[in-house]
Amino acid sequence: MNKKNDVSGMSRKNSIKFSVIRALAALAIALAVAFILIFVSAEGANFSEKMSASLKALREMLVSPLFRKNGTFSVKSFTDVLAQMIPIMFTGLATCIMFSANQFNLGAEGGIMLGAFVTALVAVYWHIPGPMLIVVAIVMGALATGLMMLIPAVLKAKLGVSEMVNSLMLNYVIMYMINYLMNTYLADTSKGVTQTQPFQANAIMPQLVSNGSRLSWGFVIAIIMVILCWFFMYRTRWGYGIRMTGINQPFVMYSGMNVAMIIILCQVLGGILAGMGGGIEMLGRYSVYNWIQQPQYGWTGITVAILAGNNPIYVPLAAFFMAYLTKGCTLMSTNANVPSQLISIIQAVIFLFFAAHQFLAGYRQKLVVKSAQEELAQKEAAERSGEK
Amino acid sequence: MNIFTADFFFSIIRIATPILFATLAAVIGEKGGVSNIGLEGIMMMSALFGSLGAYWTKSWLIGLLLAMAVGLLESLVMGFFAFNLKTNIILTGTAINMIGSGGCLFLVKVITGQASTTALITKSLQIPSISIPLIRDIPYIGKIISGHSVLTYIAFLLVWLTIVLLYKTPLGLNIRSVGENPNAASSVGVSVLKIQYITIGIGGILAGMGGAFMSMYYAMGWSQDMVAGRGFIALAAQSMGGGEPVGSMLAALIFGFASALGIKISATGVDSNLVAPIPYIVTIIALVIFALNEKRKEKQRHSSAALQK
Repeated sequence: MNKKNDVSGMSRKNSIKFSVIRALAALAIALAVAFILIFVSAEGANFSEKMSASLKALREMLVSPLFRKNGTFSVKSFTDVLAQMIPIMFTGLATCIMFSANQFNLGAEGGIMLGAFVTALVAVYWHIPGPMLIVVAIVMGALATGLMMLIPAVLKAKLGVSEMVNSLMLNYVIMYMINYLMNTYLADTSKGVTQTQPFQANAIMPQLVSNGSRLSWGFVIAIIMVILCWFFMYRTRWGYGIRMTGINQPFVMYSGMNVAMIIILCQVLGGILAGMGGGIEMLGRYSVYNWIQQPQYGWTGITVAILAGNNPIYVPLAAFFMAYLTKGCTLMSTNANVPSQLISIIQAVIFLFFAAHQFLAGYRQKLVVKSAQEELAQKEAAERSGEK
Repeated sequence: MNIFTADFFFSIIRIATPILFATLAAVIGEKGGVSNIGLEGIMMMSALFGSLGAYWTKSWLIGLLLAMAVGLLESLVMGFFAFNLKTNIILTGTAINMIGSGGCLFLVKVITGQASTTALITKSLQIPSISIPLIRDIPYIGKIISGHSVLTYIAFLLVWLTIVLLYKTPLGLNIRSVGENPNAASSVGVSVLKIQYITIGIGGILAGMGGAFMSMYYAMGWSQDMVAGRGFIALAAQSMGGGEPVGSMLAALIFGFASALGIKISATGVDSNLVAPIPYIVTIIALVIFALNEKRKEKQRHSSAALQK
């Protein structure tokens, strides 16, 4: 039997080879852009001084997130990066599911904020004994966000209103509404900054490590959700419907599946995941709610989804990469004086090349031709052996 | 309290101006089949470079031109990824928006050494206002229409120019045909790629003007998140206006009205957080009303067609 070709027209081996080379090329371009920008912003009187300053900055960005100054591996840094992965794994999963059905809902940003807020309220005000409080708080946060996502989802499914515009508008509405509630009713007035009363002691999520990284059990939940999402998307009827809607919506309609239901389902699931991420982030890392600005996890989540090719199983890898890069950029700004917002430019460049269908198209063509030739040669060999 | 003062209507026009620029960009883009959600990011970057350009050269005009050039450049980059490398246009726009929010902060820190604002625009560098003779003497109306910035008048002039461009010129015909059916356009010898680049390029220049208005007239200099979703609201205005220039202009004015009303309300002491989301909520409601209306019209069309049979 010949190895089955996938849709790309390549053998499996060549297809993987192409994906890896394409990903590395995109990363290399992003790093080159980053280096140019670092070089421009580096301090130094002449070229060589600037060069050494930029190399130092680049080292901070690429090596320091995991390694100490003397080059040894730091476990604390590693768990820090893992802890950073938690919220963006959730927003990444949310975006994966919504984008799979071509629903460009950009509401994970507001979603994670709403989930965090509702979870925090439960954690402060509901008196539920023991660890049940954690479960109830997170479930409430997730449900609230799922309900919120009904707005863009139903409007899209029933009236054809752009889910993208609506979700963006809702991001702003959520942020201002939370700030209003905080300022007017909820803020702890004994503190100088805007924050809620502290969470009840039994609402704080247990930690995986005790080195101060704030790596909570939320990480384990995130990994479980990754597996569940993958199973849902690739092994269930509804997941198939969601993916098919993204590839060929009329086909789904004519084959008798309820497209409106799929459009609503994927966005509500996205909302639940984003809200859950917000709740877990709150109880795992904080002891009060104090987000008054958008946390940007939603936008990073979109990058994570693009890097993962909308496949949940690659989300942890993509999230690790983004968490690593974010930490690298923060370190670079403190130690080498390059503004940490460089991350958003790097992110955008990677994002653009990853999502570009025609990027390295010539090379892909070569591989497709090569695969076809290999297949023909195999067939010929098989025929010849049959003649004998 | 009488809120419908001349000042109130004046502020509606002032607030609607940057949205109108971006709305026209969205109108032309959608006509050409290019959904540009990067308008927000383009406005942000243009706002920054407009104010920097004016500061460096001591000329608001050069600042404005620089803002337009930056807008054009960014839209062409978008075009390269979207049309040549076949990146999904919505993702391309999202990337441009990322650069618009974080990238601007990076550039501000590198270029000026300041954190999140540049208070660079002084009164003399501001885009000048024009007091129109004769009209300014009309009671009430004169106060509303006269005294706006040059760019405001240009924005409303551009509504008319957009109509002319889209419906009275060969280029407009090409833009519409590429938007309607690129294959058909290509079969009669129209270069689809070229038209798409022109479409997105015009949008970039318009969004650039909107950005310049933000940092060089609406506020004195650039600050973080100053565009605050106006690029997105423009997309909503476009779809509410049915994709036509005049309708979309009216939609932009509705947002101006909502924001101006919000400012009036917050002046009475209401928490600004309660007032700030009004334009965004109005956008959602307006989109729903528009969609319901469209649906009703379609039903009517169906039933009248059935009756004729």
